[in-house]
Amino acid sequence: MNQAEVSKLVSQLRIKVDPHIKKFRFKGGHTGRVYRLRQVVTGLFKHERIEANYTELDEARGYAERLISDAIRHGDTHEETMEAASYWLTEKQLVHKLFKVLAPRYQAYDISYTRMLKVSNHFPNIHPRAVLELRGNPYPPLFPNKNGNRNLIHNVLLEEAKKQFRAEKYEEIAKNLEEKAEAAKTETGSPSSDSDSQTGTAAQTMVEAETSREIEPKEGSSHAPKTTS
Amino acid sequence: MSWFLLLLYLLLLKLINITMMHIFTRLPSSIRCSCKDNRLLNLTKSFSTGSPAVDTKQKRQRRNEIFDLEKKRQKEKVGRIEKISVSYKGPPENMEFVMNRGISTPYNIAQHISEAIVNKMALALIDDTTLWDVHRPLENDCTMQILHFEDQDPFHVNKAFWRTCSFLLGAVADNAFKDHIPVSLHSFPPPNVKSGSFVYDVQLGLDSWVPAKDDLRTLSAEFVSLAKKDLPLERLEISSEVALDMFADNAFKVEQIPDIASSNPGNTVTVYRAGDHIDISRGPMIAGTGFIGRATITAVHQIQTDLGQFYRFQGVALPRGIMLNHFGYGILEDRARKLNTGRLPNQTDDYFTPLGSSSEMAS
Repeated sequence: MNQAEVSKLVSQLRIKVDPHIKKFRFKGGHTGRVYRLRQVVTGLFKHERIEANYTELDEARGYAERLISDAIRHGDTHEETMEAASYWLTEKQLVHKLFKVLAPRYQAYDISYTRMLKVSNHFPNIHPRAVLELRGNPYPPLFPNKNGNRNLIHNVLLEEAKKQFRAEKYEEIAKNLEEKAEAAKTETGSPSSDSDSQTGTAAQTMVEAETSREIEPKEGSSHAPKTTS
Repeated sequence: MSWFLLLLYLLLLKLINITMMHIFTRLPSSIRCSCKDNRLLNLTKSFSTGSPAVDTKQKRQRRNEIFDLEKKRQKEKVGRIEKISVSYKGPPENMEFVMNRGISTPYNIAQHISEAIVNKMALALIDDTTLWDVHRPLENDCTMQILHFEDQDPFHVNKAFWRTCSFLLGAVADNAFKDHIPVSLHSFPPPNVKSGSFVYDVQLGLDSWVPAKDDLRTLSAEFVSLAKKDLPLERLEISSEVALDMFADNAFKVEQIPDIASSNPGNTVTVYRAGDHIDISRGPMIAGTGFIGRATITAVHQIQTDLGQFYRFQGVALPRGIMLNHFGYGILEDRARKLNTGRLPNQTDDYFTPLGSSSEMAS
């Protein structure tokens, strides 16, 4: 069975391909259409973020993805890849950019290399519009990151809840430690266990305190108010 | 004879069954109840009689009539229309507007700019210093900025949001109970987002009422239905005499009004209205109740004060655009169930330390 695995000959696209036929006509028939696609791919590699009609971008996106994945896979010594790159990228310096800049950038990516968002169109243009961008581009993000802002109300509330939770836990630990110390005192004359509790981690002491509370539950509760005074 | 006893026994069983059915069929309706006719079905207490029947609807109507009259009077007082210039700062660009003194509001300015701004604007900032309600008429030449929930530091908007939630909580408490349970609203402490819950202190004609889970759910549903109505919050400054007339049926408010009025220039009291609920508040509040997204009434605690027994209603809410997963929101709800240590009805301090609380232990 020396047959090659067909599935691995071509690298898999990391984007969802819409199987429906799109209305996408240009002057010059099929040649004009391919010319326009080349323009879009070249524009994307040059500017890293472009806005155009949705259908054009959706179709050109696949070619851009394929170019990048081939560049990562085969490198710039592979003849076919180089041929494809110089066909799709009409400007020579962009071929260098593909192999020297983009391929290293996307080396460790396990998601798609491009990102597409639908945007609104303005009146004379009735076609749906979109923005296509290369990931990791230097521009400011299209959407502000809401989760990063600590002053937003949900983050303020969560922060305070966290603080309160911690305070309660510390109080519990302190109470357990005190209980344990009391228990050690009443047992009379076991200094070794006392030093153990100081060196042990909080978790250990909590576990120990738990066990001691199980033995003498009444005593633990009666000591609690004494600590306040 | 035994046959007769058996029959009696069966009849009794049937009767019990019927009453149980009665309870359970009413239970879901209490959860789904709208604010219109169904009052909160407090299953344990709704059968208690003896408390005087009060017509809350009539009172509310009267209060609204006074509000409408006063608002109309103030509108007519503006007289001949004068123009003011307002310079708007901020996105999408700086603009100059010529507006009507005493008539135009920040909301009208936003309408001139874009719909997105109208939908986003929760509060206005006048001359970089004064917080201004969205529906409050502008009085002088000024600069204006808009504030919203996703600002870099939305501290004031959050506070106004919390205040609005407290205000609405008062509306819910006033509306939700059946007529035979007298409800008198006292006040709410200054809004503090960090405390984890918004609060309203209410005196109810129920002794030692502990709300069941379904009762809280009903209250939450009422709160959400008020929020869904997207009612604008109308602000009105009225003289203390009018205020005393307006809140004549509420002994607590009558007592508070002179104090509040004396601290304000011109001996005035600021009242807000959302739908048909009117309450005293210093403000500012957010533009409308539609900004409230997820909301829960989490607890009703009993608190004892010199003025008698009060019920402290507590809740937690998030603004419309802010999403939080159910786990995170559950944490917030759990925290909001604990007794809020905000100012008590008869206190002057901003906080109190409940007996046996953790803060007391720490001090």
